[in-house]
Amino acid sequence: MKNVIVACGSGVATSQTVASKVKKVLDENKIKANVEAVDIKSLDSYIRSADVYVSITKTSKEYDIPTLDGIAFLTGMGIEEEKQKLIDALK
Amino acid sequence: MEVLQNAVQYVLDMGAAVFVPIIMLIIGLVARMKFKDALSAAIIFGVAFSGMTLVVDYMLSSISPAAQTFAENTGINLTSVDGGWTTAAAITWSWPFAFLMFPILVIINIVMLAFKWTKTLNVDVWNVWGKIFTAILVTYLSGSIVAGFIVASIQVIVELKIGDVWGREVEDLTGIPGVTVPHHMTLIAALLYPIDKLMDKVPFLNKKMDAEALRDKLGVFAENHIMGGIIGLLLGLAASYSIQEALILAIQAATALTLFPMVSKLFMQALSPISDAISDFMKKRFKDREILIGLDWPILAGRNEIWVTAIIIVPVLLLFAVTLPGNTVLPFGGIINLSIVVGAVLLTRGNLVRMIIYGVITAPVFLYISTYFSPYITRLAQETGAVNVEEGSMLTWSTIENGEFKLFFANAMNGEWWAILASIGWLAIFTYFVIGRQKDNKRYFSAEAKEVN
Repeated sequence: MKNVIVACGSGVATSQTVASKVKKVLDENKIKANVEAVDIKSLDSYIRSADVYVSITKTSKEYDIPTLDGIAFLTGMGIEEEKQKLIDALK
Repeated sequence: MEVLQNAVQYVLDMGAAVFVPIIMLIIGLVARMKFKDALSAAIIFGVAFSGMTLVVDYMLSSISPAAQTFAENTGINLTSVDGGWTTAAAITWSWPFAFLMFPILVIINIVMLAFKWTKTLNVDVWNVWGKIFTAILVTYLSGSIVAGFIVASIQVIVELKIGDVWGREVEDLTGIPGVTVPHHMTLIAALLYPIDKLMDKVPFLNKKMDAEALRDKLGVFAENHIMGGIIGLLLGLAASYSIQEALILAIQAATALTLFPMVSKLFMQALSPISDAISDFMKKRFKDREILIGLDWPILAGRNEIWVTAIIIVPVLLLFAVTLPGNTVLPFGGIINLSIVVGAVLLTRGNLVRMIIYGVITAPVFLYISTYFSPYITRLAQETGAVNVEEGSMLTWSTIENGEFKLFFANAMNGEWWAILASIGWLAIFTYFVIGRQKDNKRYFSAEAKEVN
């Protein structure tokens, strides 16, 4: 099963909020994947086993897996585009 | 009446892990959630409580004996064990009146937006716990629940006002437009603002440093398991444990710090249907207005300065903890002091040197305020059966966010004259900050725009 990770400052609140929304989108589209909220301080160790990374911060670091804009899930602005990217990445 | 009282008492006696899920289930059904979803959210909430109880008990049972041995050997009494903000949040949800804060939050925000008293629409529903936490401390100190909710309402208002200010800084620091961070912990910036104005005059303190290289080197220490392991080992050695015992304590401490956020996110998982409903409701109402959407602080977590500062002030907090007379707090779960670094990164626009200075000078204040509130935090934990705290030790949060505000307003509500004056003073400095900072921002960003052109 594919893994989606969402990272925030402590892996508790913001990341879990976005993770719940991502999970909902996946359920609606009948896509099976693990969605996990993680602590950004330990991101490097989580990213190795991830297939999609949903980011809440803007960093200069690039990762070689599809990276989505998590802010869109929080504000609702540009969310459709991110949803489509998510679906495309996991199909 | 008596029947009702007995019924309420019967429910409360089952402890937070049962009665809060029951409240959740009722709220969910009233909000017309599907029964299956409402039940699932309610039970997850109960699981979060029981999980937190397990982890906090585990932490106390491994850390407290070491702290007590340390106290016996040295006379330094650090018996208030720091469970960090995750523990504070968990026991906050166990307060029977906690859920009353949701409607208050929504109403204040809608009214203030409707009258154009703010531009901030705060959809960060998770941090409602911070308001409830204030309401609890004020209620305990003043004996009045009404006073608790009044102060919490003031907190909601000042948070929205600071959200109006931070929009520019957040865009500058993250590149994300239209959002802000109306977080309670950033209010410490208002008190530091006069100092920051003085620092503007010192050339050395105006140089920006690149924090990325430092972050790459030091970042590993901010990881929960490593931080926990180091503190556990240090505590074991300080308590003159044998190497064997100290290493065991190190792993136990690392376990506690690693599990805290893992269990704590269950709260958010349970709250996400309520949180989604509230934020959708609010966003829909103000669709066509130019607003700032208020989010939780982690949108700033990509700033390296935050983590570098937090790590550098860890030893400072520990050193103050053992040297400050009267301090009883043993920093542990809250030792990554987000309560200073997030406000400081916004105030200083990412100036690392100033952030470190603020982290150091505020450290004693954090410890004393935590010492002051630890009996109340312990009382909450015990009253609601969320956590068992043994006789002789206490539970606290070493880096309580915006503790000055809570200290002043709680005592003011208790009729203390010094606190009434201090609260008025706090509001005056806050007003000075809001007005002054918006002027500063205008100047700062127009100068920056000119430089680019």
